[in-house]
Amino acid sequence: MTNRNNFVDYFESHRFRGMNSRLSGRIRVLLPFLLLWLLGGTSWAAQRTSNLWWLPDVASKGGETIDQLLYFICFLTGGVFVLTQVVYIFFLIKYRSRRGVRATYSHGNNRLELIWTAIPTAIFIGLWGYSNHVWWDVIHATPPSDALEVGVTAYQFAFSMQYPGADGKLGRSDVKLISNDNLFGNDRSDPETKDNFTSAVLELPVNRPVHIRLNSKDVIHAFYIPEFRIYQDAVPGRTIDWVWFTPTKIGSYQLACSQLCGSGHYNMKAQVEVVSQQDFDKWYQEKVKPAPPPAQSEQKTAK
Amino acid sequence: MAQTIAHSGSELHGASIHGHHELSFFNKYIWSEDHKTIAIQYLFSTLFFMVVGGLLAMGVRYQLAFPGIPVPLIGGLLPKWLVTDSGAFSPGGYNALFTMHATVMIFLVVMPLLVGVFGNFLIPLEIGAPDMAFPFFNALSFWLFFTSGIVLLASFFAPNGMPASGWTSYAPLSSHGAFNGTQAGQSLWCVGIFINGLSSIAGATNYITTVINMRAPGMKMFRLPLPVWALLVTAFLLLLAVPVLSAAAAMLFFDLNFGTSFFSGDNYGQPLLWQHLFWFFGHPEVYILILPSMGVVSEIIAVFSRKPIFGYKAMVFALMAIGGLGFIVWGHHMFVSGMNLLLSATFSFSTMVIAVPSAIKTFNWMGTVWGGSIRFKTPMCFALAFVSMFVIGGLSGIYMASTPVDLFIHHTYFIVAHIHYVLFGGSLFGVFAGIYFWYPKMFGRMMNEFWGKVHFVLAFMFFNLTFFPMHNLGLNGMMRRIADPTLYDHLRSQQPLQIFITLSAFGLGLSTIPFFINFFYSMFKGPKAPKNPWNSTTLEWTLPSPPGHGNFEVTPTVYHGPYEYSVPGMEQDFLPQNQPAPDTVQLTVH
Repeated sequence: MTNRNNFVDYFESHRFRGMNSRLSGRIRVLLPFLLLWLLGGTSWAAQRTSNLWWLPDVASKGGETIDQLLYFICFLTGGVFVLTQVVYIFFLIKYRSRRGVRATYSHGNNRLELIWTAIPTAIFIGLWGYSNHVWWDVIHATPPSDALEVGVTAYQFAFSMQYPGADGKLGRSDVKLISNDNLFGNDRSDPETKDNFTSAVLELPVNRPVHIRLNSKDVIHAFYIPEFRIYQDAVPGRTIDWVWFTPTKIGSYQLACSQLCGSGHYNMKAQVEVVSQQDFDKWYQEKVKPAPPPAQSEQKTAK
Repeated sequence: MAQTIAHSGSELHGASIHGHHELSFFNKYIWSEDHKTIAIQYLFSTLFFMVVGGLLAMGVRYQLAFPGIPVPLIGGLLPKWLVTDSGAFSPGGYNALFTMHATVMIFLVVMPLLVGVFGNFLIPLEIGAPDMAFPFFNALSFWLFFTSGIVLLASFFAPNGMPASGWTSYAPLSSHGAFNGTQAGQSLWCVGIFINGLSSIAGATNYITTVINMRAPGMKMFRLPLPVWALLVTAFLLLLAVPVLSAAAAMLFFDLNFGTSFFSGDNYGQPLLWQHLFWFFGHPEVYILILPSMGVVSEIIAVFSRKPIFGYKAMVFALMAIGGLGFIVWGHHMFVSGMNLLLSATFSFSTMVIAVPSAIKTFNWMGTVWGGSIRFKTPMCFALAFVSMFVIGGLSGIYMASTPVDLFIHHTYFIVAHIHYVLFGGSLFGVFAGIYFWYPKMFGRMMNEFWGKVHFVLAFMFFNLTFFPMHNLGLNGMMRRIADPTLYDHLRSQQPLQIFITLSAFGLGLSTIPFFINFFYSMFKGPKAPKNPWNSTTLEWTLPSPPGHGNFEVTPTVYHGPYEYSVPGMEQDFLPQNQPAPDTVQLTVH
């Protein structure tokens, strides 16, 4: 049975041979790498000039560590991909059906099986070790005691922030108390909650750790700021208090809900402003100063 | 064609199985208990659903590239829950589009294509059995599946339209009409998924019983062709995972309609319970959707390389390992859900470990083409592409297995790219390979090779142009399930890429046209298929194309493993399973 198809014919055709003779052997070997470099170079350049292809510039301390891990995986998987595909395509061309050449009769090789089981296992477990190390250092670490505490409650379809006021403490809260009148579930018997103030913008001082107390009023929402490499679902019925990060660059960002939460999900976002410590203090003083009676402030929250 | 199926073998076995010779029209085509007819019923219905799911995908892509611009031609005809007054998709309508795209593609296309079509067609033929163990159950399974499809699609006509809380239906969005606004559609979703689950359970029971009990003499477990092994492992996954989803869907239905609060976010329910139940099903489901394709691809690569599969037992053990480990990795969908952070570390570990058997399979496929005599027929092209696409899908999975990186790219287009590389570049390419490969056996005619290649080249090209750039969208923080990316500062700059992807997706949609034309044209006008057009060794190729009712005139005896190609010392380069090796020839046992 001759099964020489167009693909095989092409590789044996004069045109292809002509191409071969024109290119020296070395260039032919380097060609794929050249292409890869061109592609890589273009996308690198594209990343520099616009945000079309690649990661948004990182703007938090933990984010830098996460990016290092991401790049490491990028190189690892990229290397594995190129290596396997080059070998694979080489096999496909070399072992194409040829007249009079019979396939090798082989059912396998146990030593090879052992090798290609052991090596990936080692790599994957090593990668897990590295990932887990970062997870422990960046995500699971206890927030520093001088961190700015901010309460964030998500609801269909907006975010509301609560700052601790003059005393620097948010005070006790309980998810059971969350309602339209009390978005943050503040325990009003606790005096520390009295001077808390709310904001529609997440205003943050640069280079100071921020500790988020995350709640949801109705369905599952998410707290996602791509530049900070931070994501956490906000789950109704529980308070999530392990999210913390340190913004490192002054600028405007967007806090987006990234968990489908209903028909208004597409536009559920809030502004994040990272400012200098002085600007932050100024903003904070203005917010604290009017100090309206607590009841009024709560009503404002509920709209 | 269907006539031949019903007639040619009925004198031989039909009588002994069903106790009568002539089957009425109804029993031949509608309520057929012949596994081959049921497979074809599955095939036709899934291809119909594939068109529906594909059109929904086109809608999704249209909206992302051209948000707020009225849908050309049909915009004015679409119902009010789907479009705004101007005829552009509304944000809520967009949510319904992607919810139903995923639901249809997973539950009504890929799963039944693999399990329903290949499971039904191949298991009895490849193990040398006359039919399934429970033919009545088998027919029931198909009609339950078909009903579930009708119920799910009926939501189009429900008040407020189709469900819109994602195929994952996270509670409490999905469990309260007040939150999702589509109480009726969401209820239909629960009912449809429940019925679909019953169908899967009936099918899985059948497959397991058939493979365990009805193998031909000599067909030892380690002589089973790999598609049968893959389908067997899949059947176990179905049997253990699907009831969990069915139960969860019933609970969700109660929450929606009877005021229970299993999953509610108030002080009585637990939203994360839904996610645990859903992903306890959902992750094995991912392997349900890929394992049969792996089996099909293994067989096709061996046939067209004219070589025994490299490391048959390693392949089988890898299938089992994936199946087993598949049950302890579901938490990797929940790293950011609010689940305990310590638990994330353990799920991350099991997820890294499950990558090992997938790597083993890839290396064995490469080992199979090594030293082969490769024929690039259409099924082989799809099978070879499967391997590369699966490598991309597998490698991109590593990003998500690494918890801190997952934190950033979870719920972005990176994950959309990943699942499509596995489910389309993987599962569906495997399905196409299988259809081109077994079409002659199913319909007794050959498909056109040239148009098959055209389909392959277009599908391969547009598939990659559509889904590869989605990795980049995701890395730039493009969230999933956002109806209008231009509303976000960090996404506005990548709108040209969105438009590029949408145009490629339209190309991908159109690339199936040569396939459909080829498929239906060849059924009537294709050249008659010989018994064994690919010179293959498994038992189905010893039968006429298509095989008669009852399959085997004489129960075959099996003498050796399934992939004895290019045995040294033999004139012909394949040795069918039912032929003993000549005395002069020594088969290696691995």
